Amino acid sequence: MVHAAMNRQFSLTRFIHARLIHARPAIASTQSIISALMLAGLASSHSLAFAQEVVFAQENGNTVEPNKPTPEQLQFFEAKIRPVLVDHCYRCHSADGQGIRGGLGVDNRDALLAGGESGPAIVPGNLEESLLWNAINYRDYRMPPKGKLPDSVIADFKTWIEMGAPDPRSNDGVVIHSKVTATDIEEGKKFWAFTQPSIVPPTTNPYDSWAKTEIDRYVAAVWAKREIDPADDCEPETLARRLTFDLVGLPPTREDRDNFLARWKSDSDAAVSELVDKLLNSPQFGERWGRHWLDVARYAETSGKETDITFPNAWRYRDYVIRSFNDDKPYDRFITEQIAGDLLPAKNDQQWTENLIATGFLAIGPKSLSEQNPRQFQADLIDEQIDTTSRVVLGLSVGCARCHDHKFDPIPQSDYYALAGIFDSTETLYGGTRSIRNRHPSDWIRLPVQDTQSIDRPISPDELASMKKELQEKQAELAEARRAQRSGTPTPDNSNRNTSNGTRPVNPQIQVGVLDQMVAQLNARINSVDEKGKPISFCMGVQDDDQPRNARVLIRGEIDQPAQEVPRGFVQVLGGKTPKLSARSSGRKELAQWMVSNENPLAARVMVNRIWKHLIGKPLVRDPDNFGASGTPPTHPELLDFMAIEFMNNSWSVKQMIRSIATSRVYRLSSSYDPTRFELDPENHWVARANSKRLDAEAIRDAMLAVSGQLDLKPPKASLIATFGSTVMGPNGPQNIPLLLANATNPNDPNASTRANAMRNMMGQGSFRNPNANVFETPNYKRSVYLPVARNALPRALDAFDFAEPSLLVGEREVSNTAEQALYMLNNPFVVELSDALARKAMTQSKEPRQQIVHAFQLVYGRPPTSNEMNAANRFYRQSNETRTSGKKDEAAFRWLSQFCQALFGTAEFRIVN
Amino acid sequence: MMPAITRRQILQCASAGFGYLAFAGMSTLASRRSKADDSLATGPNNSNTSSNPLAPKQPHFNASAKRVLFLCMQGGPSHIDTFDYKPQLANDEGKKGRNNAAKLMPSPWKFSQRGKSGLWISELFPELGKHSDEMCLIRSMHCDQPIHPRAMTQMHTGNAQFVRPSLGAWTLYGLGTENESLPGFIALNPQVASSQNYGSAFLPAIYQGTKVGRPQARRGGMARGDSPTNAIPDLANSRQSRQSQRAQIDFIQSLNQQKLARDVVDPNVEGIIESYELAFRMQDSLPQLMDLSGESEKTLALYGVGKNPTDGFGKQCLMARRCLEAGVRFVELSHGNWDHHQRLRTSLPENCEEIDQPIAGLLTDLKQRGMLDDTLVIWGGEFGRTPDAQNGDGRDHNHKGYTTWMAGGGVRGGFSYGATDEHGREAVENKCHIHDWHATILNLLGLDHEQLTYQYAGRNFRLTDVYGSVMEAIKS
Repeated sequence: MVHAAMNRQFSLTRFIHARLIHARPAIASTQSIISALMLAGLASSHSLAFAQEVVFAQENGNTVEPNKPTPEQLQFFEAKIRPVLVDHCYRCHSADGQGIRGGLGVDNRDALLAGGESGPAIVPGNLEESLLWNAINYRDYRMPPKGKLPDSVIADFKTWIEMGAPDPRSNDGVVIHSKVTATDIEEGKKFWAFTQPSIVPPTTNPYDSWAKTEIDRYVAAVWAKREIDPADDCEPETLARRLTFDLVGLPPTREDRDNFLARWKSDSDAAVSELVDKLLNSPQFGERWGRHWLDVARYAETSGKETDITFPNAWRYRDYVIRSFNDDKPYDRFITEQIAGDLLPAKNDQQWTENLIATGFLAIGPKSLSEQNPRQFQADLIDEQIDTTSRVVLGLSVGCARCHDHKFDPIPQSDYYALAGIFDSTETLYGGTRSIRNRHPSDWIRLPVQDTQSIDRPISPDELASMKKELQEKQAELAEARRAQRSGTPTPDNSNRNTSNGTRPVNPQIQVGVLDQMVAQLNARINSVDEKGKPISFCMGVQDDDQPRNARVLIRGEIDQPAQEVPRGFVQVLGGKTPKLSARSSGRKELAQWMVSNENPLAARVMVNRIWKHLIGKPLVRDPDNFGASGTPPTHPELLDFMAIEFMNNSWSVKQMIRSIATSRVYRLSSSYDPTRFELDPENHWVARANSKRLDAEAIRDAMLAVSGQLDLKPPKASLIATFGSTVMGPNGPQNIPLLLANATNPNDPNASTRANAMRNMMGQGSFRNPNANVFETPNYKRSVYLPVARNALPRALDAFDFAEPSLLVGEREVSNTAEQALYMLNNPFVVELSDALARKAMTQSKEPRQQIVHAFQLVYGRPPTSNEMNAANRFYRQSNETRTSGKKDEAAFRWLSQFCQALFGTAEFRIVN
Repeated sequence: MMPAITRRQILQCASAGFGYLAFAGMSTLASRRSKADDSLATGPNNSNTSSNPLAPKQPHFNASAKRVLFLCMQGGPSHIDTFDYKPQLANDEGKKGRNNAAKLMPSPWKFSQRGKSGLWISELFPELGKHSDEMCLIRSMHCDQPIHPRAMTQMHTGNAQFVRPSLGAWTLYGLGTENESLPGFIALNPQVASSQNYGSAFLPAIYQGTKVGRPQARRGGMARGDSPTNAIPDLANSRQSRQSQRAQIDFIQSLNQQKLARDVVDPNVEGIIESYELAFRMQDSLPQLMDLSGESEKTLALYGVGKNPTDGFGKQCLMARRCLEAGVRFVELSHGNWDHHQRLRTSLPENCEEIDQPIAGLLTDLKQRGMLDDTLVIWGGEFGRTPDAQNGDGRDHNHKGYTTWMAGGGVRGGFSYGATDEHGREAVENKCHIHDWHATILNLLGLDHEQLTYQYAGRNFRLTDVYGSVMEAIKS
């Protein structure tokens, strides 16, 4: 046993270990100093400048701003700074002037700190990071535009910024008063979803003998009340298919089906229970149910939004989720790891690695990486984390309270900012390399346990050295090109240049674009290995900031309108024991534990509702991600509570919950049509029959692979997108500049201009526009859960069949039946390929067409054809003989059989589970 | 098995029933064309051609519009800077707005009176402004939803809370379509994650919108990596002749029919059956429709095709005209990124420039082809924006007052209906709720929004629920 002290020590060393995060070369030297200091336990990784103050603040156990201006400092501001701002800047950069050019206001402190499109105007104490300093010195920006300020004034600004930019013009003291009162919150606690689940046993009813489990009794109690008779049990063949698709997302194997049917004859309950156990224990279970989780975790491998930057380490989170479901990790533990894995004690490096990867949950969300204002970016990042976390785990849209009190639920705006403080004290690490298109790259977390076999190729020392040299050159060229672009020197006369030395000048703008991309690519490649050229294993995730801070309420959610500070905390209406948060930690761990504590009324209810939905086809609470007042109350409140309590009592075991539902008699109902039952309950709210379900995109594709014998069940190493590294995704693949074109910007290259144009097209429009070269369509025989998921471009097999939109949390996928799907089944080359494979399989079993038809039916539907179906197949066979014009007989026979197999894939029966 | 007649009676009042009959009609159409009709004959009842749910139908009363083109601007375009001239804002510049936090920000752009009618239109629409005499501005719009997805859903279906059929689906249900080889309701470059907005909900699946092209990305849809010709993948089969594919589809449908006969009611089976028939015909009709090579240089230039930044949306508009010409009843196209919380001064002009020439060209083209009279063109976003500044150079959502406009299809051109207050914050005069807007659109199509109902789950549903009144004043 590892005792507590030991644990703490372990986590401390691991903390440091994990903080040896990816350093970008641009800041490599600083970073290594920081790392060294960190090892000594001295500094923040964020800012050396404040290291002392931070320590001081921590010693005092509070988080007050270090820069409380003294009267002398304020006097300096009033005498030297304010008049200059008013005279030279306010006209274009204040709310009272002509407006806020470039999004930058200079008429209050918060606006200066928030900055405009280009970033913060002032970073207190840091001249080089302060764009205002840059601008008044006429570097990248030139302000005021009419003429440079006198040197003495510029010197005053230097003094002012270095002393921490003291400025009395702030919203300090502004307090937003919530309209949600304490009474409202107390009152709100009475809402069904915010009360503790409780057991209300089902009333005795005529179906008590019908029922096999407690779940059955709850459902049947409603039938008795509503006077609906349940449907018969379904046929065992149907049940085997239903169970197998529901639990592992595949059709039953012949062996499983035969065993099931044989056992069914002697003991139907044992047959079900044994099949359920077998499926729950197969590795395919995690692939199926993990994918359900990835839907709500808005899993993707790119950033989405306007530039689709890759997340080449996202797959580790995907695999973590699949492992967790296969291991039946207790759900409360599963959530805690995802929100605060980095803060949990770990028994060993392996577990530590797992915990870090789990926090990828918070890092994989969609991001607007081209957003110019870093503060806005941070605010949006936090918002996405709050919104996703609260809706996924609690079914509550806390994100609504970003700009105002929640309109429907008793959640004051301050609750949102209490959570915002927690996430603002957290560093989100998703990687990337700085470029024009990615303004907010971050580090990654270096894994304590490195991959034994990396997907990345090692780089030889020579190659690495030459890459670093090239990087330096390109960086220098880029700086030069930027200067040329900014200086606005007119484009040199083409004809003159051409006649003088035979070269043509390159448009500086294109040159900057190309160089920028090349620098980014080189950086990405160099940073993927250590000094010796060995690939490094990283993951996405989060880390606590060393300097936790409370957030201030933002008036209407605007970053330059902060009001009062709110202590970090949770959602009040959900009650529970809110622990006192330490000044030294973000509070994320406490948040996670509070969310999944047995006292929290929502977490268990939300999860059992999701499980019910996936098995029964319709959730008890209509919108699985909204348990709030604007949602719909449960159809079976007592059942929901019963299952929630069971779930908690069984150590939050997802497998046990699935087992309870799958072995119930309700699950076994037939979906067959009965007019009376249908009229009484057209939408099947009362579950007196089974819902027939359209298979989801993955199950359709996996089933085609499985029955055609092409499915490769071995999980892949990493993911296709991981092999692209840090780059930008176009609609058909990564937008890397091939190294062949690396000389394109060399002004001495006679073909430079043409190549640069070619590249401009690639960069603006997405390279590889030919759909045949679309990397997402490369043949892949793994299960669909492993297909690449880029937010702006999905594989056809997923896209056509209502795949969960990866930028959104999707608790319930849409089901549509479109012509596009029919076209996919009729014409897609991969479908044709699998049909060929199935035809070959049927042919090996028999040479006789009639027998081949029967075999194909068996393989695809697990049953022989009916006589009507056999007639239709014969008709199809005859017709194709009539229409055939030429060709060899054998080949024609194969072609027809393949078309026949394709038709079986295309039918409603293949796609629908009854 | 039950007698067919009883089953049909049940189906008629059941949620999915119409889809079943829809198939009966569709399959008849298909079998008239195809010799391979005996496989379809295995399904029950395919003799009644009058039950084809997509056949053109008589409206409730004489219609001025026969078809709809909906130009959907996603993100909430600022009415204050485009179509709702508010000179008072300049006088009150910098004063605290209603929320007492943000300050009023006048439009940075000039407005002028355009055309004979003298409608005030912003300089951001130099070309579109030339059509002011065709345009009817509705300056008193309001809806119930302050956030994008819900407002967008309410704009399309009238209801943000439940899944309801979209305006396009209702239109198709009410009027049928005039080209059975094309979807009757096409969404060109649809918004992401928005199927519900084009969906048919409880209406038969056959009325749902067909999405063509990738979801629109940042720069007006197809400009970014998509050409119209590959807008629908898997449109052709290299291995099979049409005839042999027809035989294959007949076999699929025969199995589907037999399944439907077993299951009796399953909207998914019905939807799948319908999807194959449409898909088969689309293979011929869509490539023709998407092929812009027959369009003259002059026409391409009219829409701004082939030049930046109008190429993307220009192609969409041109394609929309081709769809309408081909008999598609309802065409919707999308243009995104109107959510200007910041950088209004730089971003809004970019957005406007992308659509100005294409829409102006579209109106000119429809007019010269004599189609504008009976084509209802609708422009609008899910809501508008606040008169006060946000983030210095932006505006916040405003669902209490905004502007949409219509043209052609029997609306009164050169006319402004309703008004917001002096700052453009809230509709105050002749207010037009989204239900009223829906009622009026249906009315222009000859459909009475109170009569256009569908029975589902025991009650009659309407697009306008229990609300909506027609804005008679905007009819010419």
